[in-house]
Amino acid sequence: MDRMKILLVDDEHEFVTTLAERLELRNMNVSIATDGEAALGVVENDPPQVVVLDVMMPGLSGLEVLEKIKGMDSKIQVILLTGHGATKDGIRGMQLGAFDYLIKPIDIDELIEKLNEAVKNMG
Amino acid sequence: MNHLKRKELAFFGKITAGITHEIKNVLAIIQESSGLMEDILDITENGTFPHKDKFIKSLNRIHGQIQRGIDISSRLNRFAHSPDHSPASLDLNEITEQMILLASRFTRLKNVVLESSPSDPPLIIKSDPVSLEMALFESIEILLSVIGSGGRITLSPRKIQDKFVLGIGYENTVLLEEDFLSKISSTEHWASLQEIMASLGGTVKVFGLAPEILLYLPESINV
Repeated sequence: MDRMKILLVDDEHEFVTTLAERLELRNMNVSIATDGEAALGVVENDPPQVVVLDVMMPGLSGLEVLEKIKGMDSKIQVILLTGHGATKDGIRGMQLGAFDYLIKPIDIDELIEKLNEAVKNMG
Repeated sequence: MNHLKRKELAFFGKITAGITHEIKNVLAIIQESSGLMEDILDITENGTFPHKDKFIKSLNRIHGQIQRGIDISSRLNRFAHSPDHSPASLDLNEITEQMILLASRFTRLKNVVLESSPSDPPLIIKSDPVSLEMALFESIEILLSVIGSGGRITLSPRKIQDKFVLGIGYENTVLLEEDFLSKISSTEHWASLQEIMASLGGTVKVFGLAPEILLYLPESINV
């Protein structure tokens, strides 16, 4: 079975690198990006199946990145990460085509469940 | 509340809400780092990692404290957003739960337990969130300033004869002094509480036997 291909995008470098290590331990193929521009570069050159994308980032916001990703390849699934009190962003993201959203800090088991569901959703 | 005061509150709220997001980012990193340690321990063969049990116990403690930090910063975030809309639809159960988390430290210093007795069904009113939170906090401060140590303060939203009421009651096995009521009315907080309640279009009463401060609130105000 092919390893799930994921892109983690968050401006907190320590957060994405640690989360990436945890997902790699679960046999996933993980790339990271710490801003929207870098994330779009990864999507263009080595498209992932699922992008886990923080909404609040300097430069391009998560919602802007989401729109661009969907414009590049609508099959790529996007799971947004929002803060408490920012569920509006999550709902707006789903209207823009995000698969789902999770509230930070996240639970690893919940994230994995969402990742599996997102991959199934690709058809 | 005048325009400048509103802007000041909004400023404090915005900064505080921003900081709570930063705190959550810190907690998220600690959570993932301790989670990674746990993952590594999980794949370590039995007997090859000395003191594994102690590490696991310690990691569980870290997880517990992360959750505590998340709860506190979430409440603080919600509190910081209080000035965003006024008047706003407010669930009195939610307001009391929020106050418990935010004010527990103050009651703990006097060994007083702060708890709630939620209303079923929930009571929703249209009011000013900041003033209502201040009224609740002033009521707690009043009780703390006239009681000794120990006991419990219970926040209980309810309806009394079709009126929306927030009760702030105190219980202790030790009986309070007889001049409890006059002590309450002589506190600086009491005058402040009356002023806040007037601005909310409500009234305040104290019942001596329980004793309990009752905040009577209108179902809807125009701020």
